Amino acid sequence: MNTTSQLDLHPDAESLNAFAEQALAAPEREQVLVHLARCSRCRQVIFLAQQAAADAETSAQVAAARPTTQPGMWFLNWRFAWVPAAALAAALALVVTLHLRHAAPVPEMAKLTPLSESAAPTPVPQAKESIETAHKPASPLAAKSIAGNVDFAAHRKPQENLAQEFASSAALSAEPGANAGYSESSHAATSLSVESAPQPVSAAHFQPEPAVAAVQMDQQQFSGTLSAGAAAPQLSQKSMQAEVYTAHARRQAPSAGPHMMQQSAPAASFDLATQQQPTGLSASRKANPSKLPSGRAAVSTAIARNLMLEIDLDGALFLSGDFGRHWEPVVRQWTGRAIEVRAKTGLNGNAAPAGGFELKNDAGSTWASADGKTWTAQ
Amino acid sequence: MPSQPVEASAAAGISAPPDAIHRSLLDELWRESGAASYGLEREQFREILERVATAQNFGLALGAASTRRQQEDFFRGLRLIDLVLARACANGHPGAWEHFLAVYRQPLTRAAIAITGSETLGRELADQLYAELYGLTARDGVRRCPLDSYRGKGSLMGWLRTTLAQRHVDHHRRTRRELPLDDPADGYDPPAAIPKPETPFTDLLLMGRAIEEALRQLAAEERFLLAAYYLDGRTLLEIAPLLHVHEATVSRKLRRVTSGLRKRIARNLQGLGLSKPAAQEALGADPRDLNLNLKKILQISSLDAFQEKATL
Repeated sequence: MNTTSQLDLHPDAESLNAFAEQALAAPEREQVLVHLARCSRCRQVIFLAQQAAADAETSAQVAAARPTTQPGMWFLNWRFAWVPAAALAAALALVVTLHLRHAAPVPEMAKLTPLSESAAPTPVPQAKESIETAHKPASPLAAKSIAGNVDFAAHRKPQENLAQEFASSAALSAEPGANAGYSESSHAATSLSVESAPQPVSAAHFQPEPAVAAVQMDQQQFSGTLSAGAAAPQLSQKSMQAEVYTAHARRQAPSAGPHMMQQSAPAASFDLATQQQPTGLSASRKANPSKLPSGRAAVSTAIARNLMLEIDLDGALFLSGDFGRHWEPVVRQWTGRAIEVRAKTGLNGNAAPAGGFELKNDAGSTWASADGKTWTAQ
Repeated sequence: MPSQPVEASAAAGISAPPDAIHRSLLDELWRESGAASYGLEREQFREILERVATAQNFGLALGAASTRRQQEDFFRGLRLIDLVLARACANGHPGAWEHFLAVYRQPLTRAAIAITGSETLGRELADQLYAELYGLTARDGVRRCPLDSYRGKGSLMGWLRTTLAQRHVDHHRRTRRELPLDDPADGYDPPAAIPKPETPFTDLLLMGRAIEEALRQLAAEERFLLAAYYLDGRTLLEIAPLLHVHEATVSRKLRRVTSGLRKRIARNLQGLGLSKPAAQEALGADPRDLNLNLKKILQISSLDAFQEKATL
């Protein structure tokens, strides 16, 4: 045999396969290994067989991993689709719910709290009583409600500035050269501007006390309307300042000139006009007052959602759906005389999300209504 | 190129046939193999086992005497179910063929496709083997079935795959050699020229000798590693299962073999008369200047026992 050429004899398939499967004893294995070391043909055979075995093993694993479905169990194929489908449906429902809720926005004024006892307006307050009332600290409930009223809190600073302006204008009227007559006229003009009723200047001559009282009454109504108990000290302080400066101007009246009266009157008017801008809705209503159909002043107001209720001095209740532009009387369904109406409050003290009103008569009984028209005793 | 069992010559070294299989062991193996389902009686089964044992000398070295315990271990290590099926098929038992086709037909076709890399060639190769297995070929008027050569050492499926690979490689080599000589691009590997002693570069000649000597000194497994990795281009992942080790171990062995080979070549160069610096300088020579055929050197590096057996 030519040892330099390719081997003529090779291990048979049995030996090669047993070698690949580690089934040979050590002596046989060594013989086959020696042959494989120098026989490329047998190496090729054994590697090809090994490659085919690995291929078959991979195919078997893939076939074993392939899931088998039973007939009639088609819905099991969808078992992984139910979860995302349910999640999608829940998300859609949430979006629709939120969209519907946002479609009917709740006005911010719905958070206004009902009138507090201390801020409840009196029909015709006396000047001193109004001053004392204005000087009383606000009730906790009112303070709480005003704490949540951002609009009003934002106007506290301008009110202080207005008080200073009012004081400066009064001081200006007290400058040398100003006469008393004009100073009194200045107070009268102040009073007229508060009443928003154009009256002759002469009608308010020498009536400083009613002027102060009118200011106080307006401020009281203002604070009561907004249930802004915390604002009461501010307003009363301002009114006190106005009174002080009025008195100061009265003392300076003999030296006050007509020229200065012309200056002080507009200043006071500006002061009180700007004083009527505390909150958005009520401020607009103050700026554009619309009288109730009865022609009487309102003693209690409540706003919830898009409804507005007001009680006039006679105890008649009026309902407005456009924030006071138009009013319609509510049929009396309660006993006694209605003195207060307020929006229903939730547990947190804010307006109830579902809306609703409460009405209280002079006997302390309470009626409730969801739409402001139909009232039921509580 | 006939394939020959490793144990063919070993069987010739055994002077006496193996002892008769113990009756109880024979009964136990006969039941385990399911030979009765193919109509094989106990005596037929015993003859099959004795032939297999004689051919392999119970898996022992040549001429070694086996104890009864070794014989029992050898018999229990055989794939008796596959062995009985192969013998029953070789005997033309219809039930055996039915079972064979049901179990091995598809895997054999897939294996042939994987080996050839072509579905057409694979199916053709599988059909040819089926024809052979079914005994359509005859030699000297005797119907021959390759399943007769299966001895239950490894699995029958592995044996079928290896047989397919042998057929494919032999066919490929046969057809490749039939290609015209003017087409060297097809991979025709002309015999390497033997280095002439009149090589003008003395150092390179010494280098070639030193390398040949170093390769001859390598163990069989080391030569197999070098041949499979560098000559055949096999990956570590392919080599590792054959050596029954992890591929990382194969990588470490390769590094160890190459570094040891380099030291051995340097030592051989010094033994051939070069100084140590000259030997190191020779190791840095351009391999393309060396007139060496490593494939040929590896093939003739040692005379293995298998070849020796074949020449007996």
